[in-house]
Amino acid sequence: MEIRRFILKRLIEICIIFFVILTVLFLLFHLSPGDPVTKMVDPTMTPEDAEHLIDQLGLNQPLWLQYIYYLKNFFSGNFGTSFHYGEPVFAVILNRLPNTIVLFTTAIILSAFVGIFFGKIASWHKGKQTDTWITLGALICHTIFLPWLALLMIWVFAFKVGWFPLNGMISPEVWTNPSAGLWHKLLDVIHHMILPLATLFCIHFGSYLLIMRSSMLDTLKEDYILTARAKGLDEKVIRNRHAAPNAALPVVTSVGLSLAFSINGGALTETVFSWPGIGRELVFAVSNNDYPLAMASFLLIAIVVLLANLVVDVLYAYLDPRIRY
Amino acid sequence: MTLLAVDNLCVGYRTRKGFIEAVEGVSFVLKRGRSLGFVGESGSGKTTVGMALMRLLPDNASIRQGSIIFEGQELLAMPAAQLRQIRWKKIAMIFQAAMNALNPIHRVNDQIAEAILTHDPLATKASAMQQVEDLFSLVDLPADRMRDYPHQYSGGMKQRAVIAMALACHPALIIADEPTTALDVIVQDQILSAVKKVQKQMNISLIFISHDIAVVADVCDDIGVMYAGQLVEYGRRDEVFEAPVHPYTKALLASYLTLDGAAAQPMPFTGATPNLIDPPPGCRFCDRCPLSDAACSLDVPEYAEITPTHKALCFHCK
Repeated sequence: MEIRRFILKRLIEICIIFFVILTVLFLLFHLSPGDPVTKMVDPTMTPEDAEHLIDQLGLNQPLWLQYIYYLKNFFSGNFGTSFHYGEPVFAVILNRLPNTIVLFTTAIILSAFVGIFFGKIASWHKGKQTDTWITLGALICHTIFLPWLALLMIWVFAFKVGWFPLNGMISPEVWTNPSAGLWHKLLDVIHHMILPLATLFCIHFGSYLLIMRSSMLDTLKEDYILTARAKGLDEKVIRNRHAAPNAALPVVTSVGLSLAFSINGGALTETVFSWPGIGRELVFAVSNNDYPLAMASFLLIAIVVLLANLVVDVLYAYLDPRIRY
Repeated sequence: MTLLAVDNLCVGYRTRKGFIEAVEGVSFVLKRGRSLGFVGESGSGKTTVGMALMRLLPDNASIRQGSIIFEGQELLAMPAAQLRQIRWKKIAMIFQAAMNALNPIHRVNDQIAEAILTHDPLATKASAMQQVEDLFSLVDLPADRMRDYPHQYSGGMKQRAVIAMALACHPALIIADEPTTALDVIVQDQILSAVKKVQKQMNISLIFISHDIAVVADVCDDIGVMYAGQLVEYGRRDEVFEAPVHPYTKALLASYLTLDGAAAQPMPFTGATPNLIDPPPGCRFCDRCPLSDAACSLDVPEYAEITPTHKALCFHCK
């Protein structure tokens, strides 16, 4: 019951924050250099035609009126038409978003579980060889430069060895083949996904491991661990039932943040692997002055960040009984 | 019948600054059903003694010599698996900070039942929960709060829950380390009554550690006074409380303000405890002692027997 009221409260907050973001974004785009019309206007157009287009787009209207239109369009789900694709922005985003979600959610969840597991092991063997090697590996993974790792992955595993495709998400010959079943298509996507997934896994897993390790070391100093030991519990029970669930809480925060920033943070990975996701689309839209698409992508980032924070808060309340809002 | 015999226990801690001789030559005997209180200031080694009995000392501690015989078995030579059988089933503990002694993410009844289920192979989840309920009524906790999390309890309730947990496996010995320090005097009194009640009722031996000599005198049959890692005076409650012989015990009692005592001014005593990394060669109290002479700072005193049950570590107490 309490938690439901908390979620409701947070949702209202989110709406207010989102409205502010919406407004800031509107102003930001109006302040940005470059005229959207010049991008759309054909050089062969006469000034009258250009004028007509500006009029049609409402760009000669007062700012407040444009703002009203902007809000009205947003709430009626009309994000405009992408300059580049000539399709509704909404459709473009809907097309790209699942690709990003599949890649990043898988990578982050997987690396969180592996990171928590090995972080737990490392802290348990603190100062011993096991700990040294695990921590060293995590540090290397954590500090490695992502685009470099991505390129290295492609060079070694796709180019030299040829185990995986160079880029993209699907092979056209599989997907256009009418006889290919769903299973076949799924395998094709997984095949394409392995390299970007491995890259993202490497980057995230290191930081989760290090967070888990240090959090676990703090937890092991707690009095209730001494109590558990005094109770004559098995060391494994102490580690897994008494220490690890407490120590994993900071990792949850970190996972939430990674998920929240996977759209913009993923731009690099998606670009290097030509993964048809929303991050790559955002970079493309910004560098090509595709305003409607860029604006919608920014709004999407805002929504995802806000929602991811909400999810983390709720998850926290579930994992830690002390947290009640 | 002797339950626990500790002989010449010496424990030290390795630190960056050097080896701290935290406990030096502590010996005592505890009979079944009796209670023994250790009193002393911070750093006097009383908690270290308690932890050594459970073999729960931190990693940088080492037991240099001595023996701890519990029910005829040498605890210091016991392998880890066998030790786990002794812990909580035979020797349970009430910790210094009950606030933090319970795991915040598990329900109180689960944490108590866990002890029962670990040590009683015949216990089922249901029977363990029934026992938890009985334990709750024993320490005057409402049974409908069993399923709460620790943070939902007040300080006094947590302390009662910790006591209930200590009793869960009907141990032969309970080590209570400052169980009431964080509580206000009224709750402290209630908790002490609860400890005394169950200790007598269940015929459990008790080692009670506190810096508060009045609390120890209230609860315990025997009193050991610790100073700078040594047991400087040890005897029956009345002997130590009414006729102290060691100058430190006297100073400790004189510095204590009593409500019913004559309008005696409490006597603060000056100086500081010696550095235990490199303790002075002679008596560890001699710098602060009004009776000290040349011999005190040179030779280590031996225990002087005042009565068969009363001894003190001093040259001048005969």
